[in-house]
Amino acid sequence: MAGLELLSDQGYRIDGRKATELRKVQARMGVFAQADGSAYLEQGNTKALAVVYGPHEMRGSRSRTLHDRAVINCQYSMATFSTAERKRRPHGDRKSTEMSLHLKQTFEAAVMTQLYPRSQIDIYVKILQSDGGNYSVCVNAATLAVIDAGIPMRDYVCACTVGFVDETPLADLCYAEEGGGVSSLALALLPRGGQIALLQMDARLHQDHLETLMEAAMTACKGVSKVLDEVVRQHLQEVSVLTGE
Amino acid sequence: MKDTPLANCERDFLLKAIEEKKRLDGRQTYDYRKIKITFGTDYGCCFVDLGKTRVMAQVSCEIVTPKENRPNEGIMFFNIELSPMASPAFEQGRQSELSVNLNRQLERCLRNSKCIDTESLCVVSGEKVWQIRVDIHMLNHDGNLMDAASIAAITALYHFKRPDVGIQGEEVTVYPPEERDPIPLSIYHMPISVSFSFFQQGTYLLVDPCEREERVMDGLLMIAMNKHREICSIQSSGGIMLLKEQVMRCSKIASVKVSEITELITKALENDKKARKAGGRFGFAESMPQERITALKKDETPVEMTDVTETAYDIVQKAEAPPQTVPSPVLPVPGMGQVGLGLQNSWGLEDDEEEEEEDDDSVEEQEEKVTKMEVEQHRKEQSSGDVVEISDSEEEEVIILQPEIPNRGPKNAGSSSDQKGAAKSKKRQTK
Amino acid sequence: MAADMRLPVIRKPVSLIVSTDRRDLVVPGDVITSDTGFMRGHGTYVDEEKLTASVAGEVQRVDKLICVRPLKTRFNGEVGDVVVGRITEVQQKRWKVETNSRLDSVLLLSSVNLPGGELRRRSAEDELTMREYLQEGDLISAEVQSVFSDGALSLHTRSLKYGKLGQGVLVQLSPSLIKRQKSHFHNLPCGASIILGNNGFVWLYPTPGQQEEEAGGFYTSHEPVSLSDREVISRLRNCLLALAAHKVLLFDTSVLYCYESSLQHQVKDVLKPEVMEEIVMLTQQKLLEQEG
Repeated sequence: MAGLELLSDQGYRIDGRKATELRKVQARMGVFAQADGSAYLEQGNTKALAVVYGPHEMRGSRSRTLHDRAVINCQYSMATFSTAERKRRPHGDRKSTEMSLHLKQTFEAAVMTQLYPRSQIDIYVKILQSDGGNYSVCVNAATLAVIDAGIPMRDYVCACTVGFVDETPLADLCYAEEGGGVSSLALALLPRGGQIALLQMDARLHQDHLETLMEAAMTACKGVSKVLDEVVRQHLQEVSVLTGE
Repeated sequence: MKDTPLANCERDFLLKAIEEKKRLDGRQTYDYRKIKITFGTDYGCCFVDLGKTRVMAQVSCEIVTPKENRPNEGIMFFNIELSPMASPAFEQGRQSELSVNLNRQLERCLRNSKCIDTESLCVVSGEKVWQIRVDIHMLNHDGNLMDAASIAAITALYHFKRPDVGIQGEEVTVYPPEERDPIPLSIYHMPISVSFSFFQQGTYLLVDPCEREERVMDGLLMIAMNKHREICSIQSSGGIMLLKEQVMRCSKIASVKVSEITELITKALENDKKARKAGGRFGFAESMPQERITALKKDETPVEMTDVTETAYDIVQKAEAPPQTVPSPVLPVPGMGQVGLGLQNSWGLEDDEEEEEEDDDSVEEQEEKVTKMEVEQHRKEQSSGDVVEISDSEEEEVIILQPEIPNRGPKNAGSSSDQKGAAKSKKRQTK
Repeated sequence: MAADMRLPVIRKPVSLIVSTDRRDLVVPGDVITSDTGFMRGHGTYVDEEKLTASVAGEVQRVDKLICVRPLKTRFNGEVGDVVVGRITEVQQKRWKVETNSRLDSVLLLSSVNLPGGELRRRSAEDELTMREYLQEGDLISAEVQSVFSDGALSLHTRSLKYGKLGQGVLVQLSPSLIKRQKSHFHNLPCGASIILGNNGFVWLYPTPGQQEEEAGGFYTSHEPVSLSDREVISRLRNCLLALAAHKVLLFDTSVLYCYESSLQHQVKDVLKPEVMEEIVMLTQQKLLEQEG
């Protein structure tokens, strides 16, 4: 992989994008009838389904009940066919447990849980096809699902991964770029306030570059938020027309 | 067993104290607790004390077949064990959220940052490689497990030596240490994690939270860095909202802390090496008689005591007589008892640091082959500057030491106002 | 068995029908107003003195109070709402009822009518035999008596029209589709009855012959229901689903019109997408005619 050129001299990436260009984001809300909220989101070739149940009475161990806010329960799983090699365990390994944990933290920051004491909100996310940026795609899909469920949030949560190659930040990494030994940074942002709900970075990066990279990530997140905003407004229009007054 | 919840007044007290920039153990906002590194008899065994948090790391190795997709790279394996011994809140067996979090963060900090040359661990390509296993056991939990674990892990890796191997044709021989000297691992850099805890929706920031502080905090930001100011991993956790400025500020603080800790680790390793070479007693055997291993050991007070009596006497002599103020209890109605959250604490909260160690002290320490060092930056200034008198006079002015770091003074000041501004705006938002 | 096949058709984007951009639709984080004179209602929060939406939906203003009503949400009960629910747990002196609300609702033993008349005292024995009146899995209709501070609902069945539900069909829909009306109990002229629970649970049952008194609504008949009745109920169920799929508000008239429009199709065909569309169109037309 070492020989792979991630950024050409002309400034193009492996898949022909410019450095700051995002992959195409397509999404739909309300894909399932049973769930309180659901959404499907594609970001390039990464595809994810998110489903939200709740807020509802605590299931399972009652001892987890919080008396001042709702508990958010997340499960992240990857379909066995989502990667090039067939996965043996769709969920439950260390990486996906960690991912579930991060999703939970992200949404605890954004969802107004204090409005629903003693309840539970379930967020289930499944990656159907994985082509890099799994975390960000999950967050974006889950945001739409939470909005679809009518659960109050401070703002959208948008996430994006960025990498750093040849002194240039690359927005929205795909799988080939992620594997190519790029230092990557995943960031979940509440775009309006510029607050960071989750920040995670791997691999080595000099401190001086951190600011540029974060700046690039925030710009990318804002780009994603525009697309999500469009999707939500479109959905609102469609549904409210039918209910029509 | 579930953690016993914190009493509300305890929580309020802690938060109030943090708001006033005071900490329970008298540290400043950006101070680390005392870090102590001790080595065991074996190579690759290391104990780290971070205040009362105590962690043990042990590195071991074995020859295994490599992973198919990486035929000529050794395998690194990390495991953090949260035994119920360290805290009753840890459950046996089950993978708790905390343990997943710690394990992954350590992996990210040490494996993904490629600090160890895994290719040098290859014996026969595609067939035999070394697997280096780092087991970290929590012995006593008093907060900030991650930092303690990362220091322990990297020190143990530096300390570790694997047996030499020889290859003759098809045959691979592992030489016992008697025949050939074991080889240390080749390590490129030393990533060290620094934790920051946030309070009141990110308005207040503390370095190295202790257990109590961890319980009342809103969120945590862990930054792993090496001394070349390269960030190896960042991880935020616990639903807080950060601002970019806060992250930048934390990374700056982290770089200072990391260079200090790195220095400490290097020193500790050097001392141990010297001791081993000299053939003196070292490691576990040496620390036994001095009761270093047992948690119940007594810490010698790191306060300069030689002229305390004289100084105190001086001050008492010079001081004016204290005004006759008898603290009058507030009685709403005579003859009525009162139970409440308590009145304002009228005890002078002493800010002066208790640590006042003279340099000759640390020389002694070095001779003991145990490096002990405070990482508070202001310590140096303190020992060189005026000695802060600790006296029993009520009239005494409380001297608050500003943790000024000369080499990054202006920068710090600028960012601190930044931080305040950010904090304020943050506060407004949350209203 | 005959298979039913259809070819893919292009979905008509509904947005083509509407050209106007509705201004009263907001998404989370949208600032509704920066005027501080307004009061903060559901679905909003104050951020830097600006009233901001926290859900996606339409803004509603009542005098100084601003709320945002999400398009789809769990049931937010109010006092007086009629609900249909399912018993999930029998506890001491109370039943827990699943009502599609965000917490399970509570039905106290003291707020039900026990057999033997209105004025019967509740003895310790009643506490022990609670499960005989209502057990886990039973469906009930009830009214919201009060709302607890954490949002849980307290129900009561102190009227003859409420109580245990016997034979019938439960249709679970979104609560926002139910139109609030004076009465939620209807005996439809087509030969069946309907309870439109405010919580989105709709109960369809054969119109009872005579009101049995004194039973307190705890004993239900197990008489076989005639085929014609069952057919009517099935058709009504499919009609409800059709209306819900096209997001038409449910109340007695809309259900009845839909039923009438569906008569030309077989019961099982009602759920076919094209038939559904046709029926709903007819229903909407009729509703418009009636209004106009």
